[in-house]
Amino acid sequence: MKQALELKVNGQLYEVFVEPWQSLAEVLREELGFTGVRVSCNTGDCGSCTVIVDGKAVKSCLMLAPQAKGKEIITIEGLAQDGKLHPLQEAFIDHFAVQCGYCTSGMILMAKTLLDESPDATEEEIRAGLSGNFCRCTGYVKIVEAIMAAKEKMNFAR
Amino acid sequence: MTHSVVGKSVTRLDALAKVTGQAKYCTDIKLPGMLHAKVLRSPYAHARILSIDTSKAEKLQGVRVVITGEDVPPKRFGASVFDQHVLARSVVRYVGDPVAAVAADTIEIAERALELIHVEYEGMPAVFDVEEAWQTSPAAVVHPDLPEYQLAKFPSLQLVPERPNVCNYRTVRCGDVEKGFQEADLIIENRFTTPRIQHCPFEPHVCIAQLEADGSLTIYAGRQSIFLAKQYLCSLFELPPSKIRVIASYYIGGGFGSKVTLYTEPIAVVLAIKTQRPVRLAYTREEMFASGGTRVPFVIHIKDGVKRNGSIIARKMMMLLDMGAYAGSGPFITRNSIYGIVAGYRLPNLKVDAYAVYTNQPIVASFRGFGTTQVVWAIESQMDIIAEKLKMDAVELRRKNLLKEGDMNATGEIVHSIGLRECLDKVADLIEWDKNTKQEKGSWKRGKGLALGNKYSMAPTAAVGVVKVLEDGTIEVRESADEMGQGCITVLAQIAAEEFGVSMDRVKVVWGDTNFTPYFSRGSTSQRSTFNLGNAVRLACQDAKRQLCEIATQKLQAPPEDMDIKDGKIYVRSERSKAIDIKELFTAERELLPGEFGNYVEKKGEVVGKAVSVTPAAPSDPLTAQIPSDIARQGGRLTAFYGYAAQAVEVLVNTETGEIKVERIAAATDVGYPLNPKMCEQQIEGGVSMGLSSALWEEVVLDRGKVLNPNFRDYKVASASNMPKIDNVKVSIVIAPHKDGPYGAKGTGETQMTPTAPAIANAVYNAVGVRIRDLPMTREKIIVGKRHKNEGQQKKQAR
Repeated sequence: MKQALELKVNGQLYEVFVEPWQSLAEVLREELGFTGVRVSCNTGDCGSCTVIVDGKAVKSCLMLAPQAKGKEIITIEGLAQDGKLHPLQEAFIDHFAVQCGYCTSGMILMAKTLLDESPDATEEEIRAGLSGNFCRCTGYVKIVEAIMAAKEKMNFAR
Repeated sequence: MTHSVVGKSVTRLDALAKVTGQAKYCTDIKLPGMLHAKVLRSPYAHARILSIDTSKAEKLQGVRVVITGEDVPPKRFGASVFDQHVLARSVVRYVGDPVAAVAADTIEIAERALELIHVEYEGMPAVFDVEEAWQTSPAAVVHPDLPEYQLAKFPSLQLVPERPNVCNYRTVRCGDVEKGFQEADLIIENRFTTPRIQHCPFEPHVCIAQLEADGSLTIYAGRQSIFLAKQYLCSLFELPPSKIRVIASYYIGGGFGSKVTLYTEPIAVVLAIKTQRPVRLAYTREEMFASGGTRVPFVIHIKDGVKRNGSIIARKMMMLLDMGAYAGSGPFITRNSIYGIVAGYRLPNLKVDAYAVYTNQPIVASFRGFGTTQVVWAIESQMDIIAEKLKMDAVELRRKNLLKEGDMNATGEIVHSIGLRECLDKVADLIEWDKNTKQEKGSWKRGKGLALGNKYSMAPTAAVGVVKVLEDGTIEVRESADEMGQGCITVLAQIAAEEFGVSMDRVKVVWGDTNFTPYFSRGSTSQRSTFNLGNAVRLACQDAKRQLCEIATQKLQAPPEDMDIKDGKIYVRSERSKAIDIKELFTAERELLPGEFGNYVEKKGEVVGKAVSVTPAAPSDPLTAQIPSDIARQGGRLTAFYGYAAQAVEVLVNTETGEIKVERIAAATDVGYPLNPKMCEQQIEGGVSMGLSSALWEEVVLDRGKVLNPNFRDYKVASASNMPKIDNVKVSIVIAPHKDGPYGAKGTGETQMTPTAPAIANAVYNAVGVRIRDLPMTREKIIVGKRHKNEGQQKKQAR
């Protein structure tokens, strides 16, 4: 039976009718049109569907939509503020950290929570922190470079 | 020659859409009234279908149609052997073979319906091992009707009547290999294997098929090669080309060769025709592993005759390629794997026998490298074995045998644009080859290794480029390469910007629709988009410029030959003050406001430049694979070009646990000329990481044909934490301009994956003395190898 559910996504409230077993990823993509949430494995292994829920990185294919009730959800669509890209988004462009783009949303949101939690994360910590987000195209070198560059920029701005 | 846009690392055109989540993929498309499809697959590797009862499934609310083998065309399809029905019609040949399909209102209903379909099977003997399947009396014949099947005209295939599972047999004969062995000081013989691995593109296979009112079909697909799909579907459904439209005008979430042949499309088409509704079929990750195509596993016997001074004077290779149950591109890979053998080294006497062999294993697909990665695994491991036996340095041995510009390779091609020596020297330098490795205390042992690699691009091929000059002077490139992350739209835009002398923001690219974008034979495969389509776009720009100059003749009062175009202006070369804006060539029909853009060009309507770039292939002898020497001397080739690479690695190997850590990587690739250096680096780093992952962990594990690890938990791909520190990944781009490439460029999507696995294996041997011949290099293999080595030493001491 579908139930009404209120979700707060990127600062805005939405009312959706969902089955209790529907994943957050599915509801964000199919019901609300946030297709920047990419689903690649649907078993919580690859990290491409990563979103931020109350400040924590969450694999949205593993969270049921009703579990996100009353929480602040951030998807890649909500990362740029007032038309200005987040430093991570800028760095991913400038450092050529994007290829097919399918892992990019999850990768950027994972990196954001990593840097929010530890603004001085070392390269080693960043690489370990990304170990649940796979990328098949880039070989990770430029992704890690971009995150390191964004870190400098974010710390400078603080 | 200096360029202003090509050769520069301009920002990727797709980067902004991808970092903001705005980028659209096939999987994001929804059409009004769209149904969702699911496929029922065989649980058996080889069985006869006795009956299928779909009545219960059909009664489930929300199910719109259930189809079985009786509903699909009687005609078979395939990329080389026409061996596959859309759904199995009487026999299933692998675990995962499609048996029935459902279209329903939701995916969940379709899934439930599958459980209600009852299929009765009768088991048949199956054959899983390629060496067994190759025999003259195998345990099972996968396609008893093979001799009656239709075979593709290109590539031409050769069956072997006494070996019923062989669907292609290809050979190379160069010189006299037996005589070479007699003259050799040393004979070295080994057997190497490569496993079945999956491409793991991040967007799984997906398509939507729609039947139009006029009986034509529109197919939205997340795939490579829209024109190839159109050709395959026209043939399968017996429709003229005007009746099929294939669209991939959005981004593709990775391909790596997995999205070239048909998977989802034929089933979705049958369901769409039955229901008269758009039908979406999307594979799950599990289906990708079981039925989404895998890399062809090779068994390679290699025998070399070598002189004491290190020259290889004879090489013999016998290869068995496991096609799985339906051959797909496999027979084509069998043919083209020989190009990987002849690419790098002088081989005066060469004999190759390669067999494509059916088994009851999962289906295969083209995969980054297209057979070259597998043969390079054997050859480059073998080179180190030879070097050790001769007590020769591994770099020195390779240098001694390298082909160079102007040499003739073992298929008779004259070598051109070979930066292999520079690649080798570069990585040897970067890894400090001449410095001794510092050994650690304890169970971690350090070692270095290197390997060479190569990848041809296929011929013959054709690419058509179209550029339209818009009313504000913007250049619109229309093309049919697939933007799957490799960056073709950016490179093609750079070429147009260069030719028109404008900045990147004056160029736009539209792509991926067989109704509107021009022919590009096999799409983005064989690392060919930059080379083939780059040439076509460049020539199309020149055609458009020629037209613009002709139109400007009257206004500029000068002959078109004396004109040129830059920054959106046409000017007279001999009198540069005489110039007009491209905009001024457009007439405004009815201006809404003064000074607005024009709408059309007098007499011509619009300015559209067009060109075709054809890369021909010389004829070659079917037995020897040689091109006639007179044709070769006139520049005749079997391939479009060869890319070359070298990689060197430093590894740590744990003698207690068998774990391998790659600590440093140096990778050099000859790209001809880098049109966008940073994007070349992306390809190199990505190829290295896929190479590393496949070397250490990747294998689709099968038990009687059933995949045991169809997910990312049990099938490990490299993560960021598995890669060396970023400062320890040294990438080097080697320039060896190709006379036929745009600005000297060659393609470079595949080359860099070829040397990684043997470089690591050679480093592992250097570290712990264990020679791995069968990929992947799992911990068990290291430990078992170490134990055998110790036992060997003890025996020696006992004697």
